[in-house]
Amino acid sequence: MVGPQYDLVGNPLGAVRSTFERAAAESGGHEPVAAFRGKDWGATEVFRSFLFEQGGLDKVPVLDESNLRLIKPNTLVRFRGMVQDMLGNEFYVGAFKDGSTWRTNKFSDSSPFSMPHPCDSHLWERHLFHCVPVPGQNSWTRESSPGPDLRRIASCFTSEQREKRKRGADNDAMDVSESGSGETSSSSKKTLADWESDLNCLTFPQKDDGVKISNSSVEMSMNEEHHVPEMNGGDHHIPGSSFSCLVKVYDMPESQVKLNDVSEFIGVYTFDPELAAPNDNSDDIMFDLMEDVTAQLPPSKVPRLHCLVWRNLSAHDFLPRPPAVEPSPILLRGIRQSLLSHLTLVLGKDELAAQCLLLHLLSRLRNKVDVVTVGRLSLNFTGFNRESVSIFGNQLNNLFQRLLPYSQVIPLSIEYLNTATLQPRKDNQSGRLVTGVLQLPQGTHLTFDETLLQSGSLTSKGVENTMLLKNLMESQKVEYDFEFYKLEMATDVQLLILSEGKSNILPSDLIVPFRPSSVPAVNASSEELESWRWYLATVRSLPQSTETDTYQMIQDEMVNAMRDDRSLGCSELSRWLTMAQIMAASFGEKSLSMEHWQMVKELERLRKERLQ
Amino acid sequence: MASRGGGGGGDGNSPPPSVSSPDVRPSSPLPATNSSPPQSGRRGGGRRRRGSASPYPSSPSLGGFETPPHPGRRTPSGGAAARQQRQNWTGGRFPPTPSTPMSTDDVPLSSEAGDEDTPETDGGGGGGAGADATPVFVWGTNISVQDVNAAILRFLRHFRDPRDAGRVDPVMDEGKYMRAIHRILELEGGESLDVNAHDVFDHDPDLYGKMVRYPLEVLAIFDIVLMDLVARIEPLFEKHIQTRIYNLKSSVCLRNLNPSDIEKMVSIKGMIIRCSSVIPELKEAVFRCLVCGFYSEPVMVDRGRVTEPHICQKEQCKATNSMTLVHNRCRFADKQIIKLQETPDEIPEGGTPHTVSVLMHDKLVDAGKPGDRVEITGIYRAMSIRVGPTQRTVKSIFKKTDKSRLHVEDSMETDNPNANKTTEDDFLRDKVEKLKELSKLPDIYDRLTRSLAPNIWELDDVKRGLLCQLFGGNALRLPSGASFRGDINILLVGDPGTSKSQLLQYMHKLSPRGIYTSGRGSSAVGLTAYVTKDPETGETVLESGALVLSDKGVCCIDEFDKMSDNARSMLHEVMEQQTVSIAKAGIIASLNARTSVLACANPTESRYNPRLSVIDNIHLPPTLLSRFDLIYLILDKADEQTDRRLAKHIVSLHFENPNIEELEVLDLPTLVAYISYARKHIQPQLSDEAAEELTRGYVEMRKRGNSPGSRKKVITATARQIESLIRLSEALARMRFSEMVEVQDVVEAFRLLEVAMQQSATDHATGTIDMDLIMTGISASERQRRDNLVAATRNLVMEKMQLGGPSVRMIELLEEIRKQSSMEVHLHDLRGALGTLMTEGAVVIHGDSVKRV
Repeated sequence: MVGPQYDLVGNPLGAVRSTFERAAAESGGHEPVAAFRGKDWGATEVFRSFLFEQGGLDKVPVLDESNLRLIKPNTLVRFRGMVQDMLGNEFYVGAFKDGSTWRTNKFSDSSPFSMPHPCDSHLWERHLFHCVPVPGQNSWTRESSPGPDLRRIASCFTSEQREKRKRGADNDAMDVSESGSGETSSSSKKTLADWESDLNCLTFPQKDDGVKISNSSVEMSMNEEHHVPEMNGGDHHIPGSSFSCLVKVYDMPESQVKLNDVSEFIGVYTFDPELAAPNDNSDDIMFDLMEDVTAQLPPSKVPRLHCLVWRNLSAHDFLPRPPAVEPSPILLRGIRQSLLSHLTLVLGKDELAAQCLLLHLLSRLRNKVDVVTVGRLSLNFTGFNRESVSIFGNQLNNLFQRLLPYSQVIPLSIEYLNTATLQPRKDNQSGRLVTGVLQLPQGTHLTFDETLLQSGSLTSKGVENTMLLKNLMESQKVEYDFEFYKLEMATDVQLLILSEGKSNILPSDLIVPFRPSSVPAVNASSEELESWRWYLATVRSLPQSTETDTYQMIQDEMVNAMRDDRSLGCSELSRWLTMAQIMAASFGEKSLSMEHWQMVKELERLRKERLQ
Repeated sequence: MASRGGGGGGDGNSPPPSVSSPDVRPSSPLPATNSSPPQSGRRGGGRRRRGSASPYPSSPSLGGFETPPHPGRRTPSGGAAARQQRQNWTGGRFPPTPSTPMSTDDVPLSSEAGDEDTPETDGGGGGGAGADATPVFVWGTNISVQDVNAAILRFLRHFRDPRDAGRVDPVMDEGKYMRAIHRILELEGGESLDVNAHDVFDHDPDLYGKMVRYPLEVLAIFDIVLMDLVARIEPLFEKHIQTRIYNLKSSVCLRNLNPSDIEKMVSIKGMIIRCSSVIPELKEAVFRCLVCGFYSEPVMVDRGRVTEPHICQKEQCKATNSMTLVHNRCRFADKQIIKLQETPDEIPEGGTPHTVSVLMHDKLVDAGKPGDRVEITGIYRAMSIRVGPTQRTVKSIFKKTDKSRLHVEDSMETDNPNANKTTEDDFLRDKVEKLKELSKLPDIYDRLTRSLAPNIWELDDVKRGLLCQLFGGNALRLPSGASFRGDINILLVGDPGTSKSQLLQYMHKLSPRGIYTSGRGSSAVGLTAYVTKDPETGETVLESGALVLSDKGVCCIDEFDKMSDNARSMLHEVMEQQTVSIAKAGIIASLNARTSVLACANPTESRYNPRLSVIDNIHLPPTLLSRFDLIYLILDKADEQTDRRLAKHIVSLHFENPNIEELEVLDLPTLVAYISYARKHIQPQLSDEAAEELTRGYVEMRKRGNSPGSRKKVITATARQIESLIRLSEALARMRFSEMVEVQDVVEAFRLLEVAMQQSATDHATGTIDMDLIMTGISASERQRRDNLVAATRNLVMEKMQLGGPSVRMIELLEEIRKQSSMEVHLHDLRGALGTLMTEGAVVIHGDSVKRV
């Protein structure tokens, strides 16, 4: 094990390299590093234990748009984002023999050691993901992932860091010589680093200045002008944010990360001004097609992250400090009651609507068999008009923003349908996936405000968009356009529709006429909010089990219900069962019982009364 | 021989273009083909032994590398300089495996190969000759060049296609590829010899293995051997013939290409998404001295790099740095870069497709266009990319393939007439075998039924009908010009929530050219075809609608009942004649629309009213209804058994219940393949017994209406039904891949028709099948009842009312009639009867009062 003498945050590559050299020396044989292809030699282990066991995670700064230029290259950072595009894999010289020592390039863009010319080398591969901040991410989720306060760090280091940045950027061998001081134990390394820096001094003495200037100018322009216009000019196609990150992931079966997954990547942030400089080779006609897709994501705008450790994030991970308590039914019952009463207040004392809304918020896609989706519960509140939307709709949205990790409101107007780009589309010219509004992470909540819809004519794009929305409602799938074919991507999105009458564009599972009797005026305390967030996240992830008795009982119940009312169809019964299951879960029960079934039936009865 | 040796040397220096120049930019040659020092046989052997340990000499021996291999056409200094320069660009030795080609090693080889050729063919004598000849090995391996050489020659000379074995053919004394070579020589056109890798494998698995693992070397030898052979047959033949390998035994999934595949021959399938324009690539450069005007010998391009002579070679001149490139005397070859993307079926869930760049050379340029699905055989290579503007070592390598040989595979759905039939068959043979095996299963019919929309509940008979639609019957065109459609049209009418739309969606997904439209959003021209004026040129243009677009497919029309009458009437022609005729704006055209129509509709009152007739429920014109072969009524029947099964189905969807048995079903791609194969290759004919059964059944059906006991005349079946029956039986035979329609098919067809008809053509007054209901909208018994009522009313009017007398209120008449007859009479019935009388001229109706005239 590498001791804590390494500054894993400040110089992660040092640790990577020294573990590699140690492992290479230990493995012996004539091909000591061949076995390391696609495997870890113990480097990530060091980081894992540092991050998760020794509490190092809190020391790792979170990379985001605001601190992008404050973070020093070749340091450890965290990045939370959604996998927006998968750029395939990239081969790199993973290991090469420098004299008699094996060196590795893993977790870095470039090696501080120059490769001797004909030398033994090994090609390894890594996966490239283009990650963006999660669309619709609500601000509370950001507060809960505090890294060290970068502003504070920045203020202590600013001058030093700026300078280091420049030096480091010009010539990353400097980093090595810096880190070399911490690695006196490894004498061979020390000499090599020395040799390397000497060499660099020899080779690049006068170039330093030039690069420094160009570098700072690149930074300047990046910070001041380029940022916003580039964004709006549609380079990244992410509405509202220009920030994205190119994550390089190692040693992983690609299938582990899926498109639209929200993940946290912890790795080495690299920035190399040489790579950042514009490519002057565009005169070559064929270069266009041979071009690496990453060439369109210039490092000056898109930071590179060499991922050491990653994990998928669920709603739970956004909670500040997950209470260690077991989700007992009694506890959940209490929180349910308080949340329900809050929802009732927000909905103007309409208890039925609040009940339905709670079920809706707790729904998630459980199972998908071909065209049948199980577990979704989209909700349509009818009886809204423009005024009531401005009152209740805003209240609801505020609530969602504070309760759910990702939520968005979409004003559904003719103009929106005709102009908005909902469908993600593959641009085969650039080789990238151009995002659309419907490229959403699992578990997003979408509210459609249909009261804005006036009569008018849809263009072909509008028709396409409505089809997409309908498809999303009915089968929880979004078609991505790959120019020559369409590819359906599964999603799990909660959909709430506020409309005047029953929405035909977006046919929901559950239609509830909304009957408020008072004006909402409520505010929740932050403790309450926290407990509700925890409740929602916990209940949604609660496992469900069924005993065979319930199984039989529900079948009997359904048969009886069908006998009583011939108009019941497969979809209604299926929805009842979904609601009953969610109802059971909302009380913290792991299995469905008669009681919950009856509650749902009662709810349905009340709802039907209103519909008439 | 000597001259050929020289030519061989040239070839050796730069093996065939496609193999030798993977590097696109001069800045990025992989040192994969780095020259190795000239070797004597012994050194080669030594190298081989060392090769397994470490393929590359350690750095001190680097100087050895830079010694020019031999005083070839290149000047020694030039070669060294070039290499030096190259090394500035390249990052290091990339290939991890010792797969570096022998490059210049094969200079002696080619001549040796020629020498050794003769002894080899003698067979036994080869040993002695081989001992004399210095054995040359592919660098870093134990593959003997001579062995490979001999093996290739054996293959080319002696391979005989086992499939040709049965044929008696005078040409058969020559092998398959010798014939191919002769053909090339005769035509003088072909520049490539297509070699099926399966043949190589069948003939010599060892050679196949070497070829796949060391393609650069083996293909170079292949080309040399080929040229030798050609030169022997036709010494004056000058064109270079290139070997193209296709149809490897296994193909790699695009996303599974990994570093270990580099420099290997791989076969990948994908879809072309982009093509570059054709790029001329320099092959031979000619230089001219600016001082004396001396033209240099053509300089071969070696790995993307031209060695510019520094000194004028003319003895008298010797000017330095005076040589300039003469463009129009250089030789260029075509090159193209395409981007290949994974096909949708290979993308795992939640992934995006991977792409790979492919270099196409010479004849392969423009062989495919964007959107084509192709299978490409080639050599997978990595190309380094320069990441920074300064000369730094290159750190990342970008994935590149140099596909020198491509084979465009015809995708199953497009009917491209240019497709190479034989190769397609080769490729599909395996698949077809599997499908045929499937078709032999005794329960294939049930299995197919289960596989169709497995998650849609029940409706097995509907699914069977839909299957028939997918397979379709034979379209017939008589010499007289009359044609019979083979497509089966189906109408589904049913209660809401009976998953009709889901069935439609599923069918749309399954059928090769499905179009899905919704009746509400379709207009007549949108469905058929319409004429527009091109806004730019002002020309009238014919644009196809959904039905024309789904020619040879299934056109799914949802919400058929909500379609405008105008649009629906357009369907008459399509559904029987299978054409769309257009006569407007100066265009008179008849477009093919050989499409099966699958429509679904809700009953008029949104739920089926069993008291009304089908016509009243569906509210579609009878003329159109009769064009549907099968009309299914999907009704929600109150039946405890069904309810229970439905409940069980729903519950099992929600809970992953282990008790649910997994029925064996075909997955979607297999089902699609099965159907498209059957549609394409199986054309069943009616057997005599089946024809007899058909006649018998038809007569029976017609008789049933006249059976004693029912006085009413009921037409049970019509001639349209017999056509439907034939189509259905043909489709059923196709499902079994049977060329004969058997009796069982006919019986099942009758059953299907009966099941559909019993539901849809049941006269709710009498309970028998009644085709009149479909044909005219009024059932025979209903008609009789009306006739009775009219007669009764007439009698009443004659009796009670006087000519020109006071008018009588309708209500009064109604009461009278109710008193007289036992029938239940409604006011609207009476109004109808009076209407008939009025047309007869017996009465006059003024609002509510009736007056006799």
